[in-house]
Amino acid sequence: MQQRTVTISNRLGLHARAAARLVRRASQFSSSVTLLREDTAESADGKSILSVLLLAAARGTSLIIKTEGDDEDRALTELVELVEQKFGEEFSDGVY
Amino acid sequence: MASTSVTRSRDVKLQGVPASPGVAVGRVLRLDERGRHQFYYIGVSAAQARMEVRRLREAVQEARAQLKEIRVRLAEELGYEHSFILDAHLLMLEDARLIEELEHDIRSRRVNAEWAVRSVTDRAIQAYKQINDPYLRERTSDLEDVMTRLLTILSGRDQFDLSKLDQDVIIVAQNIWPSTVAELDFKHVLGFATNTGGLTSHSAIIARSLGIPAVVGLHDITRLAKTGNSIIIDGSEGLVILRPTKSVVGEYRAKRRREARRRPRPAEETSKAAETTDGVRITLRANIELATEIESLRLFGAEGVGLYRSEFLFLTRLPDLPGEDEQYEVYRNLAVVTGDAGANIRIFDLGGDKLTLEGFEAEQNPALGLRAIRLSLKAEHVFRTQIRAILRANLHGHLRVVLPLISTITELREAKRIIADVKQDMAEARIEHNAELPIGVMIEVPAAALMADVFAREADFLSVGTNDLIQYILAVDRANENVAHLYQPLHPAILRTIAYLVRVAETQRVSLELCGEMAADPLQAIAVVGLGIRTLSLVPGSIPLVKNAIRSVELERARSLMKDAMKLTTTKEVEELLASELPRQAPRFFAAWSSKP
Repeated sequence: MQQRTVTISNRLGLHARAAARLVRRASQFSSSVTLLREDTAESADGKSILSVLLLAAARGTSLIIKTEGDDEDRALTELVELVEQKFGEEFSDGVY
Repeated sequence: MASTSVTRSRDVKLQGVPASPGVAVGRVLRLDERGRHQFYYIGVSAAQARMEVRRLREAVQEARAQLKEIRVRLAEELGYEHSFILDAHLLMLEDARLIEELEHDIRSRRVNAEWAVRSVTDRAIQAYKQINDPYLRERTSDLEDVMTRLLTILSGRDQFDLSKLDQDVIIVAQNIWPSTVAELDFKHVLGFATNTGGLTSHSAIIARSLGIPAVVGLHDITRLAKTGNSIIIDGSEGLVILRPTKSVVGEYRAKRRREARRRPRPAEETSKAAETTDGVRITLRANIELATEIESLRLFGAEGVGLYRSEFLFLTRLPDLPGEDEQYEVYRNLAVVTGDAGANIRIFDLGGDKLTLEGFEAEQNPALGLRAIRLSLKAEHVFRTQIRAILRANLHGHLRVVLPLISTITELREAKRIIADVKQDMAEARIEHNAELPIGVMIEVPAAALMADVFAREADFLSVGTNDLIQYILAVDRANENVAHLYQPLHPAILRTIAYLVRVAETQRVSLELCGEMAADPLQAIAVVGLGIRTLSLVPGSIPLVKNAIRSVELERARSLMKDAMKLTTTKEVEELLASELPRQAPRFFAAWSSKP
């Protein structure tokens, strides 16, 4: 299992679009993806949009991303990158 | 009764409007309604549950395909920036947890797919409502949107069949729509309890016609009662008890047995004629709307059908129209079963509070809008098809046609012209039919009542539709519980109108029938008989009761009683006079009956 802590830094937090992108990306890997709020210890299945939305992670929330499975390293790297790049919000849209 | 029942938290008592007498004890089947769609709870077997899971999966696939298509279109029109929300929607449908939960719901609770979608959605929405973030809370609307799409797909095809209930239930709903009634399997419906509706709302009429206890106007019963809850309804008192304790259940079971004993048994009454003690024969015909009711005519001793509400052919299948052959089959059956006694087929009374035809929009004020004969004359092809089917079926019996909501003589003339035209077409095409088809006018608009002498000259018979006539004369919407108390069948204005119609019919020698709720209430039925009405048409289930009442009175005395009643100025005075005099004049029936004013 791999894990890293990230901070949600985009303006709207883990809202619908950001959550959609995160879930899409997470679903590309065979590894399981779990998100854990550091403050409340609530966890979410990174491949379930309803579950991710329920985390209600606003800007500034610290999240632990855990990946587990054959491609856990690559999954973790890419998901951390996505969060750090603010889900591509500040970039042009239509990436996937 | 109330004093003996222990008040415990389980016995939730609700007071509504007593719509149809009798006691029912059973379990709730709640009909859910969101917008135009109704999602039913249906318990299913394990095998059916597997089919429901398959239906769900297919619906999810279909919903995804729809969303993908919309996403492409939206992206083209507005750019990817705006199509992201659809991506969130798509992801919801791909959400394995959600799908698993739905399938689990179907399998473990053994429910239909629609119900699983509804309850899982409601639970998810509850969870979202706990979130502090207003933006995220709003995601519930996305979820609703997706689920509504799913539900629409699910119920659009092969909806679980309400006509195949396999256990006895008491229906709890916002309202009982005619379309729901047409679908329900009444062998398994013990009673109704609804949020809305007054004494003469459609739900109430249906319940009485089927002899099923009902309480209406309960406001929020759909919120308080859940499918599967035990429930008691006392249709005579307008009382509903939710989740009753054992002792209360026992009490009401006993009451139900007592009531069953008191009601006249149909078989005893059917063999006797509806004749007053001084030998005047009254004809009692049936008002029916469902094909299955045709079978009940003999059971209750109806002398033919005074009102067949033909639009019920439609209500399960709108916006499709029943074709000529399909209509022909129903009318032929009606003609055969009623034989010499005959049947009056009321031309489609669509529009208004009933469903309307495709291509015609909902109206601001449907009671005064494009409905009934107005709609038939506008959608002439529908009218023609119906007339053709009736003319063909008329070979097998004695059918008559009644035109609803006529307000001016030109409507009658126009309808007669079209009917003559249809006959000619059929003769030319050598289509077998019986052209001897009497055409009657429903007197239910005040203008038609005032002009009855004119109609009597050009129509073959007149039929007073008291439900609508009372509504229009008194300007009261009978389904509006705020004004339902103003719906007064014994209002002096109504009595005068009926007396006038009787006079016109006598002088012009045209036959006059009266159909509507008044005919089914023993006291009111005697009142109109006293005014001179000789043919009543009423719900089949009430025929034995009304016959019993008629057999207990002397017409001469009823006539003079109504002469006195006509001098009174308020409904209350009329009611009091009848309630005090009838038990004296006809104690055999009314002494026991007069407990209710």
